[in-house]
Amino acid sequence: MLGDVFKLFIENKKAALGLCILLFFVTVAILAPVIAPYDPKVNKIETIEILDTDRGRNKTVEREKIDEFNERRVYTQEVETTYEKNTKKFPLNSPPSSDHFFGTSHAGQDLFSQVVWGTRITLLVGLVTGLFTTVLSLTLALLSGYFGGIVDDIISLFTNVFLVIPSLPLMIVIAAYITVKGVFPIVLILALTSWPWPTRLLRSQVVSLKNRDFIKVSRSLGEKHSYIIFREMFPNMISLVMASFFQSTMGAIMGEATLEFIGLGNVSIVSWGTVLYWAQTNGALLSGAWWWFLPPGICIALIGTSFALMNFAIDEISNPKLRKR
Amino acid sequence: MDNNRILNVANLVAGYEIKKGFVKAVDNVSFTLNKGEFLGIAGESGCGKSTLAYGLMKLLKDNALIKSGIINFNGNDIQSYSNEKMNQIRWVDMSMVFQSAMNALNPVLTIGEQLTDAIFAHTNDSKEKAKGRALEVLKLVDISADRFDSYPHQLSGGMKQRVMIAMGLILKPDLIIMDEPTTALDVVVQRTIIEKIQDLRKEFNFSVIFITHDLSLLVEISDKLAIMYAGKIVEYGKASDVFLHSLHPYTKGLMNSFPSLTGPIKRMGGIEGKPPDLLNPPEGCRFAPRCEKAMEICFKEYPKTYVKSDKHWVDCHLYNKEGNVNG
Amino acid sequence: MKYFARKIGLLLFALFVAVTLNFFIPRMMPGDPASDLIDKMQGIQPEALESIKVAFGINTDEPLINQYGKYLLNVLKGDLGISLSRFPTPVSEVLGVAIPWTLGLIGLSTVISFFIGTIIGIGCAWNRNKKSATFTVGFFIFIRSFPYFWLGLLFIYLFAFKMPVLPIGGSYSPFVKKEGFDYILSVLQHAILPASTIIVSSMGAWILTMRNNMINVLAEDYITVALAKGLPLKRIKALYAAKNAMLPSITGFAMSLGFVVGGGLLTEMVFGYPGVGLMLFQAIQAKDYALMQAIFLFISAAVLIANFIADVSIMLLDPRVRDGGK
Repeated sequence: MLGDVFKLFIENKKAALGLCILLFFVTVAILAPVIAPYDPKVNKIETIEILDTDRGRNKTVEREKIDEFNERRVYTQEVETTYEKNTKKFPLNSPPSSDHFFGTSHAGQDLFSQVVWGTRITLLVGLVTGLFTTVLSLTLALLSGYFGGIVDDIISLFTNVFLVIPSLPLMIVIAAYITVKGVFPIVLILALTSWPWPTRLLRSQVVSLKNRDFIKVSRSLGEKHSYIIFREMFPNMISLVMASFFQSTMGAIMGEATLEFIGLGNVSIVSWGTVLYWAQTNGALLSGAWWWFLPPGICIALIGTSFALMNFAIDEISNPKLRKR
Repeated sequence: MDNNRILNVANLVAGYEIKKGFVKAVDNVSFTLNKGEFLGIAGESGCGKSTLAYGLMKLLKDNALIKSGIINFNGNDIQSYSNEKMNQIRWVDMSMVFQSAMNALNPVLTIGEQLTDAIFAHTNDSKEKAKGRALEVLKLVDISADRFDSYPHQLSGGMKQRVMIAMGLILKPDLIIMDEPTTALDVVVQRTIIEKIQDLRKEFNFSVIFITHDLSLLVEISDKLAIMYAGKIVEYGKASDVFLHSLHPYTKGLMNSFPSLTGPIKRMGGIEGKPPDLLNPPEGCRFAPRCEKAMEICFKEYPKTYVKSDKHWVDCHLYNKEGNVNG
Repeated sequence: MKYFARKIGLLLFALFVAVTLNFFIPRMMPGDPASDLIDKMQGIQPEALESIKVAFGINTDEPLINQYGKYLLNVLKGDLGISLSRFPTPVSEVLGVAIPWTLGLIGLSTVISFFIGTIIGIGCAWNRNKKSATFTVGFFIFIRSFPYFWLGLLFIYLFAFKMPVLPIGGSYSPFVKKEGFDYILSVLQHAILPASTIIVSSMGAWILTMRNNMINVLAEDYITVALAKGLPLKRIKALYAAKNAMLPSITGFAMSLGFVVGGGLLTEMVFGYPGVGLMLFQAIQAKDYALMQAIFLFISAAVLIANFIADVSIMLLDPRVRDGGK
């Protein structure tokens, strides 16, 4: 059955397009060192050209010093290399050119390299958070929906409460207090503010599945709970879990960009969000440097669209009414 | 045109357009119906009866459509009617009673609103007059007037079905098509509904096409019976003829599948196998694979119609033109 | 009635949780923001130092429960502390100035976005097979994936910078007197871009939700019955289809209010619109924790109340909920 779903998925044009876009960015992230022409943080290239071609590259100079006190001669050898250092400073705040595809920042850093390298952090944070959130909410949903009773009541109560507390302000407040900087806190904050929605969604499905006949049959046969959950229920929930994962990942990517943009993340790392942060704090907009904020935004939108497309495809597969005939 | 004839369906082909082709749920179906007559159409799930019902009212949508054939209703060829023209006859001359098991009632409107909006759509009646008529039909189906302002979820299954019947009657149509109107109800309620339909028919003399998979319901109340299998009518005739002198092996199989309340205890028969794929139906008789009387010719050629007597015909190789029984 | 009571109960409990979170977050954070802050603020007035200590609960003489109790009482009284960045103005006053701008901008934009989005969504579902519907859906999927603040930046660049048609930021021109027609005009002018940002970016969600709901509803049997009855299409579209499709939409509206409000805050930050969002941004930079917390509380309360209103609306629209609760 899984194979069939996968086949349907690939055949669906939307899914195929979405998947292509995603794979494109993953490839960029993995091959970042190869693709990025420069180090994202440097604003100049220094080339060293060794000049002394007369007698090899290095000149060994030997000096003799006579130590009369101790009646000895001390010889020191020094290797002298003569070279010419060529510092090519990147142009400051310049629009896209053949040297710098996305132009440069106000400090002369190559923006293309920044965006390419930024793909890594952005995707990493997004996918890790998405995975973490999905696992967390799936667990809560299964516990709450399958076992019911007090467990369900408590989990549901907290889910409903946290669902209505707006996540962005919460994220901001928590992030503002955290003085430990790094990628991990960001992942944690994002996960902690986005678990309610998928939990509620998945729980509804667990509950409706629980009441289906085939589950009741299993229970009356005395199957172990773990068997029922993992071998009977879970395969029927895969499409919803996948959709959840995409949504969580996208939410995390947006969340990370937002936190960085406001300056609450770790501004020393290179991610699409930090690029936008530096653009904003350096008044890129008002100095007309559209190339600074355009690419990261478009990249985020492309990834978002890819997830949305794949989500759409999953919706269509699991709900035949939505399919085009 | 015979003045008494209200519906004449000839060579109707209808079904579903899918990527692989056209599924002929209704394959070359023909029958007639007179004023005040009760035609029962029986067949198992998937035989095309619902497609036929929806097709008659031109309600097929999306990829479902009428491919060809003639539907002559009250002297008019309605299969070529536009939607606007069709709307003029809908509910006024021809209405439909849907299964109560379906979500046939709008959950956010009251019963009263759903009864009267049919009136407002086709007449210029005032609110009071419309409400009056609605209360009239509710009374006919034994639903108390205070239910006028109730919402569908506040009614039981049986009540909802009766509301559907009332709704079908409200504009006094000549023909009411009933699609499995008793399926989701228990036998006692079924009985009540069937009796109610009988009473109403006596009083108002409308024609009925009653579609069901449960043959036992039809034998008492139908005037005519049509047995449908895999998109085709395989036997048709007066109810008593079809019931007492069944010709087609499928009809006999259906008759044998429900026990009688009286008489000796018999061994029950079922019909093994399942219906054929309607996308690419077989060349010969469609029932052949499941028929215990099947002969070689059954698989190769579709049987010609054999008319036994006054409007009792069957499509089966067991009977040839001369009336002899083969095999 | 039971439904109503349950919803009120949930509202109060959620408010309680929000307030409690507000109390505990500063006391639970890793690192030591308090000392950090104190170090940074060398040479501030002793009263300010005192307020920081109180906000962070560094007065460890008092047991936590007492502090909590005092805090709850203060919140109920409306005393949310003293703002550090605008010392010595009380937080409630600072907040009071910003709230009307936010309610106006975000409130109106959200409502407009919901209505426009819902109507377009109905259209996209009803005319499902037309190319325009597919294009609209695709377009909004793409737009929706842009971060809110980014769209704001784009709008500023295009309409305030490149083509200086509209003002870059702020809520009204500083050259205009705070009353009269000119003032109103200026306010409207300044609100166009931020409002458009919010509307364009959040409209997509409503369009897609409504479209999906409509498609599901259109496949229901009562629609077939309505067609069989020969009812006018307008009535079917409105009372049979849309009225049913709206219900899950409103639920969705309530639930995603949090996100929409968040987006609105970002928009304020980008446009320098003097609402609660911008204030939050400034509070973060100035490390004015008391103000930050108060804003969080306000936003939570606003969203919770809006949610509650949405829940009540459902109760009014869906007869099934009135009778039994879902």
